[in-house]
Amino acid sequence: MEDLENLIREIAKKLLSEKKVDLIIGYEQGTLPLHTTPCFVDKAEDVKKLVWNASCDANLSKYVVDRKEKVGVIAKGCDARLIAVCAIEKQFPRENVVIIGIPCLGVVDRKKIETKLGDREVLEAIVEDEQIKVKGEGFELVLQKNDFLCDSCLTCRHRNSPIYDVFVGKKVPEVKGANEFAEVSSLESKSAEERWKHFKEELSKCIRCYACRNVCPLCYCKMCFVDQTMPAWFGKTNDLSDTMIYHIVRAFHVAGRCVDCGACSRACPMDINLRELMKKTEKIMKERYSYEAGVSLKEVPPLGEFKMEDSQEFIK
Amino acid sequence: MKWKVLEKSELPALVAKLTEEYEVFAPVKEKNIVSFERLSSENQAYLDFWNTKKPPKDVFFPQTETLFTYRIAEKDVEIVEIPAAKGKRVLFGVRPCDARSFVLLNKFFSSGEHKDVYYLEKRRNTTIFGLACTSPRSTCFCTSLGGSPFGKDGMDLLLQDINDKYLIETITEKGEELVEKFPSLKDAEKADVERAKKLSEDAETAVKSKVSVKDVSEKLDRMFEDPLWDQIYQKCLGCGICTFLCPTCCCFDILDEETVEGKRVKIWDSCQFSCFTLHGSGHNPRSSGKERMRQRIMHKFNYFVNDFSEIFCVGCGRCVQECPVNLDIREIIGAISARQAE
Amino acid sequence: MKTAEKEWSPKILAFLCNWCSYAGADLAGISRMQYPPNIRVVRVPCSGRVNPYFIIKALQRGWDGVLVSGCHPGDCHYISGNLVARRRFAVLKDLLEYVGIEPRRLNFSWVSAAEGEKFANVVKDVVEKVKALGSAKRLVKR
Repeated sequence: MEDLENLIREIAKKLLSEKKVDLIIGYEQGTLPLHTTPCFVDKAEDVKKLVWNASCDANLSKYVVDRKEKVGVIAKGCDARLIAVCAIEKQFPRENVVIIGIPCLGVVDRKKIETKLGDREVLEAIVEDEQIKVKGEGFELVLQKNDFLCDSCLTCRHRNSPIYDVFVGKKVPEVKGANEFAEVSSLESKSAEERWKHFKEELSKCIRCYACRNVCPLCYCKMCFVDQTMPAWFGKTNDLSDTMIYHIVRAFHVAGRCVDCGACSRACPMDINLRELMKKTEKIMKERYSYEAGVSLKEVPPLGEFKMEDSQEFIK
Repeated sequence: MKWKVLEKSELPALVAKLTEEYEVFAPVKEKNIVSFERLSSENQAYLDFWNTKKPPKDVFFPQTETLFTYRIAEKDVEIVEIPAAKGKRVLFGVRPCDARSFVLLNKFFSSGEHKDVYYLEKRRNTTIFGLACTSPRSTCFCTSLGGSPFGKDGMDLLLQDINDKYLIETITEKGEELVEKFPSLKDAEKADVERAKKLSEDAETAVKSKVSVKDVSEKLDRMFEDPLWDQIYQKCLGCGICTFLCPTCCCFDILDEETVEGKRVKIWDSCQFSCFTLHGSGHNPRSSGKERMRQRIMHKFNYFVNDFSEIFCVGCGRCVQECPVNLDIREIIGAISARQAE
Repeated sequence: MKTAEKEWSPKILAFLCNWCSYAGADLAGISRMQYPPNIRVVRVPCSGRVNPYFIIKALQRGWDGVLVSGCHPGDCHYISGNLVARRRFAVLKDLLEYVGIEPRRLNFSWVSAAEGEKFANVVKDVVEKVKALGSAKRLVKR
């Protein structure tokens, strides 16, 4: 999206030169094809580093909490919602952050492209509006971008950042009617025995690298529950019980705050489908408390409040 | 040193025979991920990969290892030691970069007065059967760090794919011992060995990614307070991917699990975790990503050089491939290397 | 000494809030109401004190079932502890069941200080359901 890229640079330059922010957090070209990397710009002349395309997958809201300086951050729909959640949870003074909203038509899932190409390594890639052109040794292919989007993007209902201070370009139409809980519902229809088997198998691949936790903007605790010792709640070894509990508790901790940005699944080096666990918490919040995270700066996440008439069908 | 020929179709049978005599660890493919597993009747070796997702270090240095179990009885503590694994093992299908990592890990685990018997015992009992690289990846930079795609450091014998067949080159006595179990293997012809040498040269040329490390260690001696660290750490998330997937990273933690009846375990740790240097007092000398990133680079490219005269990196490129924010160690070393020498 | 073959009987960990459910359990005892001996009680000041980690750790330690019981909504000694807890338990239960933990291992009830009979019935019901499930294996740490 060429014009959006230039617009971002203009907006960034303006914010920096007018001293509305001390730092712009955006994306720049990565060292590998199909990769962009988080970029921290504090000088107006450096804004030319900023890029925008469908490989801008990193969740920049991670870098917003705990900052003393004023920042402007490029925020896709999911990123902006997470900034909103962190703002409600008072993780930074709201006035210190300029949310630069942007329309996003989905980010590319590199793992899907790698699967498609097999043992052909991508050495060059150009990501355009509708197509991705990939080149390697002895091959050149044009892929349809929409065939290789991240799963979380396929059912996205917030392509335009719902919360923003500045919006880049024009808003795009939102997609309605996609069944975002299809995967979750499919698992729910299985027996407890089958689900246990499924999650046991999936989570046994975990190497406890905590990339899922560290890439998640909601995991900002100074001391994570899994790192607590004396006494320790749960173990840090590869024991399957401890590993499954780590993921279950993390899902519980992000319940009502998670927006399914997909960063956890993307970051996992062992290709664990974490989304199908985290997504369930979103469904619980929607069904029990009619809540959607990060679309309003006024609503408190469900586990932070209660109502007299809350559902209690499970209580004797 | 012997050179033997193996027909491609005979490789599965060779591996199968190895499993009869040794405990064999080999690359196994599970969905899209290839990692080293113990071979059994339920899996088979898979060699069609650039490199495995996880390095083979966990064959000698498991991610979770029980050191002993204990029971706190009335008057004292009963300790039951876990006996060291005695059986002979073969680690098959190891790329030269990963094999070279064992040379470096050996230096670390056998240094000082108290050698790490857990690592050394397993290493001693294992024959390392390497797999040469004929098509390196764009993120491989082994040649910048003293390695090469057909490199032989740290292994006992090397399997080389010369297109229509395999060559097996024995490197050490252990390697020859293994080959002697296959008396039907024919000696290689001179032409085959020449072809292998040519493929080795081609593969080295194919390693395009180069990192200059010539005087990086010296420059780092004077860079502890350098402003470079303030810039490069910012995007790092502080997860453990780079350290866990690194063939040479070997920091560990020791914990006791359970109270009255339990076990003492050794687990992988990462200098990138926020609690890595958290003291009992609550003080943390590496309290921000800046100090932790500095530590990682200094340890690999300066401290280890000062202690063991080697850079603690083999250029496998896993950290570059897997970092969720594309933090590229090659860029960092490049920036350090570009500094003016004083 | 004869070693008798014992038939497996479930072990259930019960968190009872001090002001209502624990008193209710006390009343059941004083009134000599019979109920299965399978529960082990942990008295907590309020059902809101029950950290989800307690429940998960109990399952990890091999407890066959967990019961958390508190005051009826509106009657909490600390005004709203049980209301906070209600949402927490709802999410935890839904999540654990989704992962495959058998639904009847986790049990929640509102039992007031006057409901001795209800307490006995709740325990009977929980023990029966957990017995039918067999001993806990999922999430148990070996």
